[in-house]
Amino acid sequence: MREGLVFILFLIALTSICDTINQLFLKSAINSLVPPAGNIKEILRFIFKLILVPRVWISFLFSLISLCIWLFVLSQVDLSFAFSADSMHYIFIAIVARFILKEKVCLKRWVGIVLIVVGIMMVSIS
Amino acid sequence: MFKKKLTLKLLIFLILTDFIETFTHLCFKKSALTENEVVITNISEAAVFLQAVFSSPFLWLGLLSVLATFILWSSLLSKIDLSVAVPICSFSYILIPLASIIFLHEKVSLSRWSGVVFILLGVVFVSLSASEKERVLE
Repeated sequence: MREGLVFILFLIALTSICDTINQLFLKSAINSLVPPAGNIKEILRFIFKLILVPRVWISFLFSLISLCIWLFVLSQVDLSFAFSADSMHYIFIAIVARFILKEKVCLKRWVGIVLIVVGIMMVSIS
Repeated sequence: MFKKKLTLKLLIFLILTDFIETFTHLCFKKSALTENEVVITNISEAAVFLQAVFSSPFLWLGLLSVLATFILWSSLLSKIDLSVAVPICSFSYILIPLASIIFLHEKVSLSRWSGVVFILLGVVFVSLSASEKERVLE
């Protein structure tokens, strides 16, 4: 039982990493385009341009891998537990955004992210 | 450089994306539930499991909402930082226990709810950090 749990946690970590890579490539592809105006036509045109960027397909690939692992995880444990253990994802995203995308992550944002992770831990441990 | 400020409108759309994402996860869980007692020891068994999952209508409903999420999420990411958008989407940690109780009849304990308070606080902090940046820029 315990071994099974460790294996599930490992799979969830793997999903988190795949998800982070997915978001990283997506955001970097979006950053290479001009942001759309508010109306739907412009947004659809933007989406069309976006899917022509090769990086987006790498992002899709990772999201597909993540989905397959996720579906298996969901068949083994409760949705609320699985989703809770996924919290490490937030730290990965913040680190990747700070060091690869060069976003300015100020102290207040770090505090917020840590609070979220602590909250998610509390949710998952219970 | 374009402005990256978090407006109320963007916040509402982020929460909307969150709702659709919660719906997606519910659909996926429902599709995975069609097979009870899954034991996977080798690749062919995994393939059989995936085949069963992919034949469930809930999975396709889930994939449809993934498409909707992708469109919303991409347009949102073009306006704000990744390190703001992702933490704010942790809002679904509040929606998911709620949805788990109502639709899947899973048990959610009181201590889980106390974690929800922390998450909410965190979301407030991250949102404030994004709206403060706007004031510095302008």
